[in-house]
Formats: sequence, structure tokens, C-alpha cells
Amino acid sequence: MELLPTIVGWLIYSALLSLMALGVTLLYKTTKVANFAHASFVTVAAYVTYTSTVILSRNPYLGAPIAFIVVGLVGLLLFYAVLEPMRRRNSSTVMLMIGTLAFDIIMLGITNIHADYLNTVFKVPSRNVLLSGLDFKFMGEPGILFVALGTLALCTVAMYLLLNFTTLGIALRASMENPSLSEAIGINVSMMLAVSWFIAGGLAGVAGALLPLWIEISPDIGTVLLASIFCASIVGGLDQIYGAILGGLLLGFFDVVGTSVLASVVGPWISFYEPVIPLIVLSVTLIVAPRGLAGLRLRRGK
Amino acid sequence: MSGLDQLILFTTDLLALFAVYLIINIGLNLQQGITGIPNFGILFAVAGGAYFTGGLSTRLALSLLGIHTDLSPIFDNVSVLALINPILKSQPIIAVGFMILFLAIGGVAGAAMGLISSAPAVRLREDYLAITLLAFGEILNVIGIGYQPLIGGPPGVSVPDVLGWAGEFRFYAGMFALLFVAIAVFAYAGYLIKTPLGRTLRAIRDNEIVARSLGKDITRYRTVAILIGSTLCGFAGSLWVMYSGAVTPTYARFDWTFLPWLMILLGGMGSNRGALVGTFIFVALDKLIIYYKYTFAGILPFDIVWLNYLLLGLITILILIYRPEGLVRTWQKEPSSVQPKK
Repeated sequence: MELLPTIVGWLIYSALLSLMALGVTLLYKTTKVANFAHASFVTVAAYVTYTSTVILSRNPYLGAPIAFIVVGLVGLLLFYAVLEPMRRRNSSTVMLMIGTLAFDIIMLGITNIHADYLNTVFKVPSRNVLLSGLDFKFMGEPGILFVALGTLALCTVAMYLLLNFTTLGIALRASMENPSLSEAIGINVSMMLAVSWFIAGGLAGVAGALLPLWIEISPDIGTVLLASIFCASIVGGLDQIYGAILGGLLLGFFDVVGTSVLASVVGPWISFYEPVIPLIVLSVTLIVAPRGLAGLRLRRGK
Repeated sequence: MSGLDQLILFTTDLLALFAVYLIINIGLNLQQGITGIPNFGILFAVAGGAYFTGGLSTRLALSLLGIHTDLSPIFDNVSVLALINPILKSQPIIAVGFMILFLAIGGVAGAAMGLISSAPAVRLREDYLAITLLAFGEILNVIGIGYQPLIGGPPGVSVPDVLGWAGEFRFYAGMFALLFVAIAVFAYAGYLIKTPLGRTLRAIRDNEIVARSLGKDITRYRTVAILIGSTLCGFAGSLWVMYSGAVTPTYARFDWTFLPWLMILLGGMGSNRGALVGTFIFVALDKLIIYYKYTFAGILPFDIVWLNYLLLGLITILILIYRPEGLVRTWQKEPSSVQPKK
């Protein structure tokens, strides 16, 4: 087992996973919904990168800012077309979750149609594709390592600044903590929810856009990752936004480094069971800390 | 093949799929609609029923029929089945006995998976629970692919053909067997709702605190609901394997968790008749689109199956916004049919 490539793999995967989980936790805090559509957010972004790179022959990294906007708008669409009308009718949390699920299924259909279209009209492969060949090298490591970590750091700092030092952020936090009180003092809670859907979509968009530089993408990539994203979010704790980063790092560590260590100790057959690792981490976390790692820390702090 | 034959084949397939989904949806409805447990991991129980039927049926058939062979029931699957299937073909009674036995395997496997899911289900908050169960749903696929002695890894295995005696009418016989079980399950669910157990489950859904104050053991009742629901899902998995004759570790979350959720939503949660109507509309729509797939092949630059996704998603969103109580509520008046409010 070589240590360095494993650690590089861990950092890249964890950084992307953390960005995706960050959005899930944010949406959970604002809308109280586990967003099933995060799967398609990631997939749409991955195909934004792929399409702009292959059809328009742009640099793959240009996909990230485009995907931030595009998927942010997809998030807004989901909120205004599906969730807001449901919320006005006092739908239960489970119903709202099915709403995100239905939206996810529509987006899954659209991504697949897009992939078929690329294939038949532009005659380019559109399933199980990887763009890592176009990545640059920096100090002998793939560029995605630095970009992914840099993006995670940038997004975390930006989020921290937004939530703590701007009026918008403070209004956002107020409507997370107590929507009815916020409404009473004149905060447009519906608008705040829309903002959080845009941000969460954007974060998933950036992460998804970087994905094809590291792993093969297909229209079902988001669905495959969804369980891990949710695990990272829960392990970190749904009550604390930054918990998602902790969850992503931890889950990625056990997933990438854990599998690699186990494979060299027990035998390569163990790597078949890699998808079970997030579940084991999730189970252990929920037994030790039923409200996630962040919940544990907060409780001790009191 | 004449038009009539094609129509009969189409209807047979449609009814078989309908029967399987009806059993699953009754099981899901019992958990989500009646007891209020958002089980987004029913794939776990369905796959449990399917994979354990796949893994155990050939082995059991070998020992029960007294066949001695050095061949592996999984890795030399085809040769072993060549020993078993002729016997089942000539002796329908044994075949039907095996069918019931395999169904029981599916039920027990489903119940076992349900028991595992119930560990988090009785402890976690609703939102944590939905996500946790969803994440755990995939685990059997991983085991099915990684642990080859279960169902032979990715290529899967065939199972003893318990319908072989019907010859060319094999699939019709299978369809009737599936419908028979589905009707029995439907009748049982209708009965269950009216028993004291059913009333307690609804009471827990509508107001957990009141139910607890009346001395009901919430944890135990929730476990019971999950166990019954998962057993039904296990039955369905097992039946689907017997009907199609083989199993591969590819049971997807979309087909066996998300679609059932959309179906019970369409019909109306908490009502068995709703589950029936929702299942029928969804399965019929799905099959019709696939039926007309080849008519449009070549005209559109993509596979028409994806339009199905757009349609299913759109219908669900419209239902959620304009008729969240489902289609059936309009002509069914039942005091307990109030949707739980969060």
C-alpha cells in the first residue's frame, strides 16, 4: 500500500463530500427537509462540466462557477415550483421530502435525456466518463487536490462571513432558529428559505462540477453518492452547519484510507464492501452520539 | 406473434408487476400511512426476500429432493437446476409445495431485515430515521455483489422453476399465483386495520403522547408494524424472483423504494384502497410507456424511458400540491384517514 496516493484520494473525496453535505445540513436547518434532490444537483453539475469541456472545449475547471449558478437556479426552481406551494398548504416534513424526491426523479430523467442526446447528436461518450486526463499537475499531484481543498476552504470561510457578518446572514440564521418570530419582526422567511436553497444548490453544484476530474460520472452518480452525502451530514450532526465538514472528512477517511488499509491487511476482496463503510461509521456515530458529532461537542461545551 | 398474443402477454406482465407492487405498497402503507414510520429503506426487506430466496432455494431443493451431487448449487447453478427442474416439472404438487416454502423464506428474510431496521426506527427522530433507513437500504446489494456464495455475485443465479409444470403457460400461472397472494395480503390488511392492533397503530400515528398516556407501549407497536410490513416486502421480493426465475444483486432504490412511495402517495396514504388504486395507475402508466417505446425509437434522439421519469415526477408533484390526500380520499370517508401533521 502506498500512503501518499491514498491520502490524496482521501482529501479530494472528503473535500467534495463535505461541500455536498454542507448543503444538505443547511437545507435541513432552514427547511427541515432531507433533500433527496441533492443527488440530481450533483449530477447536473457534473454534466455541466462535462458538456462545457467536451462540446465547447473549455477548461474543465470553468465548469465550477457555471455549475454554481446553474445548480443554484435548479435549487431555486425546486423551492419555488414544488416546496413553496406545498409549504403554504402546511404539508408535513415527510411530504416535503417526497416533493424533493419527485423533483429528483424529473431531473434524473432530464440528465439521462441530455446524456443520450450528447451521445446520439454529438457522437461523444456520455456515460462512465472521466476528465482527469485534462487535469493539470502541481508539485506532482493532480490539480484537483488543490482546487477541491481550496474550494472547500473558500466556501467555508464565505459561509462563515455571510452568516456572521452580513444582515442577510443574520436574517438567515434568525429564520432557522425561529421562523415565526422572524416573520413577526419583518424578516421575509420565504425569501430566506429561497436564499438557502440557492446556496445549497450552488455548493452541490461546485462539488459536482469538480467530480468528473476525479471519478467517473454517469447520470446515476448523484444517486450513488446520496447515501454517503446523507451519512456525512448525519455523522457531522444535522443541528450544526459546519458539522457537515467534519462528517465529510471523517467519512472520507474511513472510506478511502480505511478500505485501503483493510485491503492490505485482510486482502483485496474487502474492497467489495467499501460501500458498507459509511454505514458502519453512521451506526457507530449514532450509537455514541445520536445527534451527530457536532451535537456531542455542543453538549459538552455547555 | 399475433396482436392478441401480444396483448395477453402485456396484460400478464402488467398484472404480475401490479401484484408484486401491491404487496410491497400494503407493507409500506402499514408503516408510513398507518403507523407513521417514514421507512425509506423498504428496499432492504424486498432485496432480503429476493436474495435469500435466490441463495437458499436451490440448496433447499437439493436436500429436500434427496439429490446428491458434488456440484455447487450457486457456482454450477445451471447444471444443478438441470437436475432439479425436471422433477418439479413432472410433479406439480411438489412444485407448489416448494413455492410456498420459498415464499416463507422470503417472508422470514424480510422480517429479519425489518428487525434490523427497527433498531434505529424506534429510537431516532423522524428526519434522522428517514435518512438512516435510506442509507441502509443499499447494504444487501453490496453483500450480494461481494459475497458470491449468496447469489453468485454480479451475474446472479437462477432459482428452481416452481412454475415449470405449466409449460408454455408458465407466466400466466405465475401471474395468477402472484395475484392470489396479493389479494390475500390486501384482505389481511383490510382486516388488520379494524383490529385493536390497527386502531392502536393509527392512534400512535395521530398522537403518540396520547397513545402513550393510555398505556400503549409505543416501541413495541412500532416494531410490530415494521415487522409485518417488512414480511410483506419479503414476500414480494421472493415472489418476483420465482416469477422471473432468476435474481441478480441489482435491486435499485429507485424501483423498490421510491416508486412504492410515489404509488401510495398517489392513491392516498393510510388507506389500503388508495394503495391499490395508486399501484394500478403507476404500473399501468409505466408499462404502457415501455410498450410504446419501440414505436418512437429512432424518432427521438434519446431513450423514451426517460420521459417516463418526467411524467412520474410531474404527476407526483401535482398530487403533492393539489391533492396531498391522494386520489381515493374523495369517495372514502373514514374518520381515521386524517394525514398526520408535523
